[in-house]
Amino acid sequence: MMMAKDSGGILKWMAEYDRRYVYLVLFLVMVGPLLRPIGMPISVSPDTVQYYNVLQQVQPGDKVFFTLNTEFSGYNEIQSGIIATMRVLVEKHARIAFGVAHVEATVIPELIVKAVQAEMTANDYQYGRDYIILGYIFPNEAAVAAGAQDFHGVVTQDWLGRPIAGTFLDEIDDWEDWDLIADFTTGIATSFLINHYALRGTPMIMNCIGIMIASEKPYVDSGVLLGLLQSMRGGAELEFLIGRPGPGLTAMDGFSFGHYALIIFILIGNVGYFGYTRQQQMRVDREAK
Amino acid sequence: MAEILKNRQLQIIVMLLSFLFVFLPYFLNVPQLNTASTKLITITSIVTAFTVALAVLAQFRRGINIINRRSRGWYFKAYMLMTLVLMLGFSLISRETGPYHWVMFAVVNPLSSVNYGILAFYMASTAARAFRARNTKALLLLLSGFIVLIYQAPLTGAYFTGFEPIALYLGSTFGLAAGRMFLISVTVGAIVFGVRVIMGNEPSVLGLSKEE
Repeated sequence: MMMAKDSGGILKWMAEYDRRYVYLVLFLVMVGPLLRPIGMPISVSPDTVQYYNVLQQVQPGDKVFFTLNTEFSGYNEIQSGIIATMRVLVEKHARIAFGVAHVEATVIPELIVKAVQAEMTANDYQYGRDYIILGYIFPNEAAVAAGAQDFHGVVTQDWLGRPIAGTFLDEIDDWEDWDLIADFTTGIATSFLINHYALRGTPMIMNCIGIMIASEKPYVDSGVLLGLLQSMRGGAELEFLIGRPGPGLTAMDGFSFGHYALIIFILIGNVGYFGYTRQQQMRVDREAK
Repeated sequence: MAEILKNRQLQIIVMLLSFLFVFLPYFLNVPQLNTASTKLITITSIVTAFTVALAVLAQFRRGINIINRRSRGWYFKAYMLMTLVLMLGFSLISRETGPYHWVMFAVVNPLSSVNYGILAFYMASTAARAFRARNTKALLLLLSGFIVLIYQAPLTGAYFTGFEPIALYLGSTFGLAAGRMFLISVTVGAIVFGVRVIMGNEPSVLGLSKEE
C-alpha cells in the first residue's frame, strides 16, 4: 500500500498502484451518493427511447408475458427497468403473466407486485383476471419450446399449485397469442425465448445486464427484438421518461462517479506506465554511456 | 430386447426421426406433423424436468458417500444435504409465508446480491490495471474503452454531448459487427455439431464411447 521506495518514486507507484485503492475509492464514490443522492442530470439513450415507444403502444387487455430470467443477484442490476416497465404495463391495463427461469426468481414477482401495489390498486388489478404468477416454468429449452407450441400442455397451475383454467390464460394457446414478451434477463433462458417466440414473430422487448448488451444488440438491429433496455442505466432512463423516479435514478449519481473514478485510475496507470518506462530507459541509456 | 435397444444404429435412427419431427414443421404445414411435433416436445419437456429429481438423488448418493468416508470437507456436504432437505420441507409447508419465504429473502437474496456486488470491484480493478497502451492495438482498445466509459456515465451526456455520436458509432459499427460475428459463428458451430450428431459422429451424445 505504501509508495515505492526505490528510484521509481511516484511514477512507479502510479504504474503499479495497489488494487485496494481502487476498491476504496469505488466504495466511497458509489456508496456516498447512494446514501445522499445529489440528483444530477442524466441523458437518455436512443435505445431507451425505442423501448419506451414500444411500451407506449401497449393496449388495454393486451396479454404480456413478463419473463424473469434472473436470480436475485441480477435482479439488483435490472430492478429499476423491471419496476418501471411494470408500472407502464399496469397503467396501460395490460394483462400480465409472470414466468421465471431460475429457482431464486420464484419469489421475485412478489417484490415487483409490492413495488407497484399503488398502481395495481388504482387500476383495480385482480389476481387471475389481470395478472398471474406462474413460477418456475422455464427449466430448459424443451419447456420453452413446448410452451410456445402448446401452452396448456406444459403449464396447468400457477406457482402455488392453483389451476390456471378460468384465468385470462385461457386465451393463450401458443406463441401467436401473446401480444408482447417483456424479458428481464441475465441470460438464462433468453436465447430460448428468442428462438421459439421472437424469431417466429411474437413481439419481444428486453432489459438485460451490462455484459449482455453487445450480444443482444444484433437482435435489435435485425428487428427480432423491438427494444433493448440496457442494464441499470436503461432502467434509470426509463424511470426518467415515465416521470417516476425509483431505484435506478437514485443509483445514477454513484454510477456516474464510479465510471469517472475508473477513468481516472486508467489515466493514472497509463501516465505512470509511460513515465516509469521512460525513466527506466533513460537510466539504462545513462549507464550505457 | 436390451441388446436391440443398445444398438447404436437404432439409437441414431430414433434420434434422426425425433430431429425430423421437430425440424420439419418449421418448413411444412402438415397439421398431423405439427401435432406430433408438439406432443414430442411436451414429452421431452416433462422427461427433462425429471432430471432435476435425478440430480438430487445423485447428489444424495455422492454426498452420503463422502460423509461416510469422512473425506476432506465432508461437513460442507453434510450441510448442503441438510439445507436441501430443509428447503424441500419448507417449500411443501408454504411458499408465500413461513420458513421458505424467510430463507429466500433473509439468506438467499443477500448472499446472492453480495456475491454479485463484489464482482464490480474486481472488474473495475482489473479494467483499471489492464488498460495500458503498451502497443498500437492496446492504444486503440484503450481509446475506444475510454470513449464508451465516458459515454456510459449518465452525467456525461447531460453536459458533454460530443461523446454520444462517437460512442454510438463505435457500438453500431465495430461492436455490432463483433456481436453478429459471435452469434453467427456460434450458430454455425451448433449446426455443424447437429449434423455430426445425426451422422453418428458424436456418439457421446448418446452416452456411448467411440469404441461402442
